[in-house]
Parts: sequence; C-alpha cells; structure tokens
Amino acid sequence: MTSPATEFPAISTPRTTAEVPFFFESADRPLYGVFHPAAIDRAGAPVVVHCHSLGVELLTNYRNDVMAARAAARLGVPALRHHARGHGDSAGDFVDVTFETLVEDALAAAAEARRRAGAGRVIWLGTRLGALVAAEAARRAPGSAGLALWEPVHAPADYVRGTLRGVLFSRVARGERPEETVDDMIARLERDGRVDVHGYFLHRPLVRSLDGRDLSAALEHWSGPTLLVQIQRRPRLAAPHAALAATLERRGARVTAALVHEEPGWQFVSNPAWQSAELVRLTAEWLDAVA
Amino acid sequence: MPWREAAADLARARAERPVIVPGPDGDLFGIFTPPAPEAPPAERCVVLFTRPRSHRNRMWVEGARRLAARGFSAFRFDYHGNGDSGGEPGRLDPNRPYRGDAVAVLRHLRRELGVGRFVLYGSCFDAATALSAFAEEADAIDALAFVAAPVMELDEVVRLEADDRKDWAHLWRAVRKPDNWRALGSLERWKYMATVFERVARHPFRDGAASGPGPQPSRAFADHFGSLARSRARALFLYGEDDPEYLSFRATQTLLWPGLPAEVRARFEVVVWPGLVHDGTLEMERQREIFEFVAGWIERHHPAAEGAWTSA
Repeated sequence: MTSPATEFPAISTPRTTAEVPFFFESADRPLYGVFHPAAIDRAGAPVVVHCHSLGVELLTNYRNDVMAARAAARLGVPALRHHARGHGDSAGDFVDVTFETLVEDALAAAAEARRRAGAGRVIWLGTRLGALVAAEAARRAPGSAGLALWEPVHAPADYVRGTLRGVLFSRVARGERPEETVDDMIARLERDGRVDVHGYFLHRPLVRSLDGRDLSAALEHWSGPTLLVQIQRRPRLAAPHAALAATLERRGARVTAALVHEEPGWQFVSNPAWQSAELVRLTAEWLDAVA
Repeated sequence: MPWREAAADLARARAERPVIVPGPDGDLFGIFTPPAPEAPPAERCVVLFTRPRSHRNRMWVEGARRLAARGFSAFRFDYHGNGDSGGEPGRLDPNRPYRGDAVAVLRHLRRELGVGRFVLYGSCFDAATALSAFAEEADAIDALAFVAAPVMELDEVVRLEADDRKDWAHLWRAVRKPDNWRALGSLERWKYMATVFERVARHPFRDGAASGPGPQPSRAFADHFGSLARSRARALFLYGEDDPEYLSFRATQTLLWPGLPAEVRARFEVVVWPGLVHDGTLEMERQREIFEFVAGWIERHHPAAEGAWTSA
C-alpha cells in the first residue's frame, strides 16, 4: 500500500546541491529517499529508480548509486534513490524484510519518483539482489522503459550460499578453523531463524521468500533496453550473465553488456568508500542513449 | 537479538527530518531525530559520528531513535565524500580527522535548530573526529564517548602491535595464508608486512629497554585531547584489550594521564573489555553489547535519569 509522501522540507540554509532528501510512505512506514532533479530540460525524459542490494551491500555500493544518480541528473534524467524498509534510514525491521516487501517498496519509490519528476516512464537500476527486485518491479509497474543491472544475482539460493561462504572465508583469514560448513549454517538459519553475517543477521523469512526466484524467469516477458554490467576481475562475461543477455536478445531486447574490472568486497565497506568511475560512466552513457 | 522496532521507535522515525549542512568540503546530508514530546527533555543533542551514517545493521539509526524516545535529540550524518554528502572521498585516517565537518555540524544544529548542548559519540576515525570538535566547540559539549580509536600515527600502531603481540610463530602462520600473499599486491600491505617482519626480527636482541623517545601520541590527538582536558566535558574511553588500537591508547595514557589535574581525571572514565571492541561491529552480539553500554553511559547525561551526572 502506498500513502502520500511525508512532506518534510529539508532543514537547510542556502546550499549548493539541488538534491532533495525526504521521507515517503510505503506500507504505512516512512522510507528515506533522495530525489535528484534533472539539471537540464530533456523532453519526455524518464525517471531512474534505484533498487539497492541487501543489508550491508546497500552501503558497499552506496557511492556508486549516488554518483550514477548525479550523472543522470546532469544529463537531464531525474533519479530517485531510496532505502527499503529495514534498511538505512527508513523505518521497519530487517527481520521482516522479504522479497515481496523489497518489491513493494521499490514500487512505492517509483510512484513517488514519477510524481516528483512528472515522468511517465521509469528506468530501473538494480544492484546484485536489487537487480532481481528491479526486474520484478519492472514487470509489475506501468511505463517501465529500461533496466540497468549491476552485477545481478541470477539465482538467490547461490547468492545466499556465496554470502555464507564469505563468512567462513573471513574466519579462515583471521586464523580460525571454521567449525561449520555452509550447509551447517543454512541448517542453523532454518533452526534458529537467523545467522550472523559480518555484523547483521540474515533472517529466515527473507531467505525463504527468495526460494524459487530467478532473474531469467522474472524477465520472461521483458524486451526493453537493458544494460548488464559485470563487476568482476574476469576478462569475459560470466556464463550466467552471457546466457541472460542472449536470452533477452532473442526476445528482441536491446542489450548492452559491459565489463567493470573491479572486485569490491561486497560485504565490507572499504576505506575510502568504493566509487567506480567506470561503472558510473558506462551507466550514464547508456542512459543518455536510451532516455 | 535482532532489533525490533517498538511503537516509540516508529514514532521517532516518523518525526525525523533530513538536514543538509553546508560544510567546508561539501554539503553534508544528515538526519535529525527530535526528542519525543512525551519524554522529559534531556536538552542535549547526541551527535552520532559514523561512516556511513546508518552503519551495518543500522545500529546508529536504532540508537538515534532510542535516545530520542528518552528525551534527547539526535543527529547522524555522512562526512563529505561519503554516503549522500557532497565533496570528494578520501582515505580516512584517524590522525587526520574531519574537524571541519564536525564543527560545521554543531554550528548548523545550533543556528538552525536551536540546539545548545551536545554529546558526541564515535568509534575509530569517528571518535577522533568527534574529539577534534573540542578544538573549536568545547564549551558546547557535555560529553564524549570515544571508542577504540588509535591515538598514534598508524605506522606507529603497527610497530607497537608487532613488538607486543607478534612473533615468529605468528609470521609462520601468516605466510601460510594465500590471502596474505594476494594482499601483497598493495603497497600498503607490503609496508605493513615489512614493518612487522623487521620488528619481530629485532625481538631476540631487545633487552626490554626502550630505544629512542618511545611511542608518542599523534599531533592531532595530543592537540584535541588537550582541548578536551581543558573543557568541562566528561569522557568515556572504551577499548578491547585485544584491539591493536588499545596498545596505542595504553602507551599514551601513561604519558598523558599523570599530568592531568585530579578534577580532569575524575571526568574521564577508561573502560577496557576483554577481547575486541574495534572490530566488534562485525559480530552481532558484541555490536549490541558495545552500543548498549555506550547508550547507557550517554543516558546518564539526562537530567531526569537515575544516577544522572550533574553538569561537570
């Protein structure tokens, strides 16, 4: 359910930024968002709606979302970033977050973005698990005009296993001998309802809500312009990315696949914060071409 | 236990206001949480120094709303070049705190929101930045929670740790880890490893006597600590005894504390826990423990709290 936005103006003296931080409502809770108005007129421009990844990955990738939104605004394409419930500055408990609530919040953000921008069309930008959220939201929302996927998660079950494997690797790196396997951790998640992942809990309701989800299936009917950015050190497109690109192209979608040869530690906030000029540049170029 | 949002927390979330602070290096984006109108007013704003402002598991968001439900106002913000804020990012070094950001925030909150008194809380770089505010705003600050920050130049902390805790067995374990070899792709890691190797190699020849002038606090820490000592604020210093950062604090404490007047020492509380505090944010239970402890200490600055401190 989407309620009207909470119209609290930012408390500010004269400043240089045109960006507007604000709270809006989704499912009767305030969510935090930042609206980046277009810096120049661009007739009929869509609005970009960002869908962040899960838990700490929202923070890891934060500056790239910010810089991409600023780049879009400079091109005349407004953008809206938001924190889903249970994330960042929004209300809500992380324990209650499910795939469905992430999609619901993304749709509320899109409604707010369209209202603020006066735009009829939406371009979705999703990172990692947020790519799956963006794909599902694009399927449900009217006026979805494009989809940008940053290092998308294809199969959430693999994503969860990979995240837990990372916890075990970090224990080894600290000189500890892990006392359990990934399967043990998944069993513990089922039994106890949660497992600690580098300082936040991965909860059973979320993991269960991802069961059976698949990016390719979510995009079954998608044929719009698509940007797929692989963010890995490897020199070629990984097999799941290549397969998705091929499937979409067979369906008539115009797919731009790009490689960013960087390897962020998705679970750790680096110092200085990770900011990829290449990722932002590629995304801005694609937006300029499709908006 | 995971945080469960209570009705009072949700009410505070609904009352939150975005704030944009013009800073010397870019606009700073933050969130102001007003005190609950039904709570006895603490008449103090707790400024939560953190990067990014929600931190993993959102403990600063939870903390801001909890403190606000008890009558404090709270403010959390992103430094320039971080989070939503403007400006260019840079490598954060606790010995080069973002004093300009800290001072800009306090002055903005005073000018725009009428906040007169402050309590500051931060860990590591954030603690050093909170402390740096004393250089210009000491009169407005009632308390500082300073958690697990190194107080010497970072290469000095590495040397101290190598001298105190590392030996050939440690090095042998380190060289058997593939991750360590991969990490040597970075110049900084090379410098770190070279320092540790050099210090461990000297162990057999040490006779326990200090060579040279001994470890010294960083210039920034010494200056800002001096401002804190001259103020009337209370301070909590929290470390884990296994934190490398604690070695630097312990060494500094032996240098600085004896020279402090008794009145100043009485305002300072040093708490050292077994295990780690600096990296405690990476484990849920520890993270909760740290936050509960510090929030409890802050709440004693509420004039209506049981056992409240009167203004120092």
